[in-house]
Amino acid sequence: MRAVIVEDLALLREGIVALLRENGVDVVAQAEDGPGLERIVAGHKPDLAIVDVRLPPTFTDEGLRAAIEARRRHPGLGVLVLSQYVEPVYTAELLSCGEAGVGYLLKERVGEVRAFIDAVQRVAGGGTALDREVVAELMRARQAGGDAGGALGSLTPREREVLELMAEGRSNAAVARALVVSAGAVEKHVRNIFAKLDLPASDDDHRRVLAVLAYLRAGAG
Amino acid sequence: MSTSAIHTHAARWGRDFVFNLAGVVTAAVALMLWTLGSIVSLVLAITYVGLFAGLATLLAIRWLARLERRRAAIVLGEPIEERYRPLRDEPRSYAARLHELVGEATTWRDFAWAAGWGWIGPITSILAAGLWVAVFGMLSMPAWYWAIPGGFDVGILAIDTPALALATTAAGLLLIPLCGVLVRAITVGELTAMRFVLRPRGEVAASPAAAAPPALGPPFELHVSLSLLAALVVTIVWLATGGPFWPVWVWFGLGVLVALHAVALRSWAARGDAERAFRVKAEFCALIAGYLWILWALSGAGYPWPIWPMLGMGTAVALRALVLYGDRLPWIDRRALVQRVDVLTRTRQGALDVQAAELRRIERDLHDGAQARLVALSMHLGRAEERLADQPEAAALVRRAREDAGLAIAELRDLARGIAPPILADRGLKAAIEALARRSAIDVTIDGDCDRRPLPVVETAAYFVVAEALTNVAKHAAGAPAHVRVTQDADDRLVLEVADEGPGGADPHGSGLSGLRSRVEALDGTLSVVTPPAGGTTVRAELPCGR
Repeated sequence: MRAVIVEDLALLREGIVALLRENGVDVVAQAEDGPGLERIVAGHKPDLAIVDVRLPPTFTDEGLRAAIEARRRHPGLGVLVLSQYVEPVYTAELLSCGEAGVGYLLKERVGEVRAFIDAVQRVAGGGTALDREVVAELMRARQAGGDAGGALGSLTPREREVLELMAEGRSNAAVARALVVSAGAVEKHVRNIFAKLDLPASDDDHRRVLAVLAYLRAGAG
Repeated sequence: MSTSAIHTHAARWGRDFVFNLAGVVTAAVALMLWTLGSIVSLVLAITYVGLFAGLATLLAIRWLARLERRRAAIVLGEPIEERYRPLRDEPRSYAARLHELVGEATTWRDFAWAAGWGWIGPITSILAAGLWVAVFGMLSMPAWYWAIPGGFDVGILAIDTPALALATTAAGLLLIPLCGVLVRAITVGELTAMRFVLRPRGEVAASPAAAAPPALGPPFELHVSLSLLAALVVTIVWLATGGPFWPVWVWFGLGVLVALHAVALRSWAARGDAERAFRVKAEFCALIAGYLWILWALSGAGYPWPIWPMLGMGTAVALRALVLYGDRLPWIDRRALVQRVDVLTRTRQGALDVQAAELRRIERDLHDGAQARLVALSMHLGRAEERLADQPEAAALVRRAREDAGLAIAELRDLARGIAPPILADRGLKAAIEALARRSAIDVTIDGDCDRRPLPVVETAAYFVVAEALTNVAKHAAGAPAHVRVTQDADDRLVLEVADEGPGGADPHGSGLSGLRSRVEALDGTLSVVTPPAGGTTVRAELPCGR
């Protein structure tokens, strides 16, 4: 897998590059600012771009806008946005440019090496990776705004955990690993969740994730 | 004097003349009715005929009173309200009708007028009409001189040459204004008395004019005119009788009264305005002082005693002036104060700017410094953990350290968010409020706009006001929709309004808003909470946009 990284802090950039290389990700180029992203993506045609939200010169949401623009110009490019904070508006904007191959993670998740590499591979492969803080925010908004009939409230705590992990973008197998239960148990929970939330059943991991995300985002306004 | 003013005066004086001419007639009738009617009625009261006489007298007096009201209305254009109890039509006994008339207050007002006018009227109206007749006589003197050969004697003067006749005309011309003013005074006096007696009392609708302050209008003019008349009369009396010039004392007394009247009216007009009231007081004191000196002069100019009351009044005036105008004294430098306020305003603004910049710098430093280092630390610990797969105990320790680093990062994130949420710094107030609305548990609508971004410190305060207000709505008015309005007014102030349709009656001091109030006030803004018990709460903040 070929990846590029845009991060203005050398300390972090170099650490992430080392981490990725250790785990078999080929980092083909690095940049430090928004325009740099477009340059290296156009030049190297990578599978994935890892982008910090806050970049020079404005140090605002430069990276986010650059990432969205890059996705618009290069369909099929996976974009994983790293940030030091969760901003639901930004998440929503990122997801609005298509859920396939996007991710939004807090920076500190790079410390959870396995999960991070898993998310990187998922996004590069057209999947989704949302930080659990983002998912929690979506759940909160869904419950505050439009949890019609209290569907979310009717989930058991375990089903809720499964739902949250699915919303992060994980496959059934990954959910089973994270919860240390059998794949069959996860299957059963997923069926229950889909029945309770009145979502169309599907065998495809990614479609399930999209259905869950669509459900949560519908209530988030 | 302009032509129109001459016209106005001529018309008014003409009306006065006609009014008094008619007054001569009505006064004669009144005198006759009153004396004859009273006497005849009383004398005949022992018989039944006295009843008819009394009834006839009262009805005649009523007729006269109505005529008098019309005299005022038609000649002077000053209508006097008329209100009689309607007489019942069905035939009743004369005694009953008399009883009805006697029981009506207006009857006795009419009666009083007939009596008063019967005695006073002949004097005043003949005097008034006579004054004009005298002036006309003087004006037409050459005609009389021509008509009566050989000249004639008008009592104090024998008109025996054409020059003298013409001189009399000239004197008559000069006397016109004086005559006009004097007759005007008499007429106003008569009218005032007529109003006083003949106007109905009791359930008079309160007119707005009743509450209006007295202007320097007719009552004052009347006062002046009557004083002039009195002064003239006593002077004439003195001319006729001779002796020491005593009328000066009368003049003095009349002058004091007129001056007091003027002061009273001016102080009424000046009420509520401290500076004007002070000027009136000072004028009053000066007036008193002037009169005291005149008095001193008239009484022989001996020991200058008026200096003592003047000293007292002067002290009082000076003290009052000190209270009022103390800040204009040269040694209390107002400009220095203004400059000081300027400096303080500027430095406070500067301090707030610096504080805001400082906070943003801290937030940046946290982001790029401590937070980034902790992320790097967490990352290295993660990598170490991977390599310690074969030593579970060490791996568990490293994992623990990584989790602590994660907690530290989360705490720093909360800290940074408390300084200012990232979206506020990135995209401005409106976007930040929209994000707030999206996360809120209640329905929030937003409108308004601000073209130009306020200072960061203002923006942040505004953001937290809206955030706190929305939290309160969600807490206290659950389910009620809220409306946020953000505008910039003409004075370049940022105005925020958060209104809800909840139950109202919130405690404006009890909520987290009081903390925000001091934050807003430090920025020279205001924060108010309107929460009528009837329902609905509005939090309104105004903040200067800065610079």
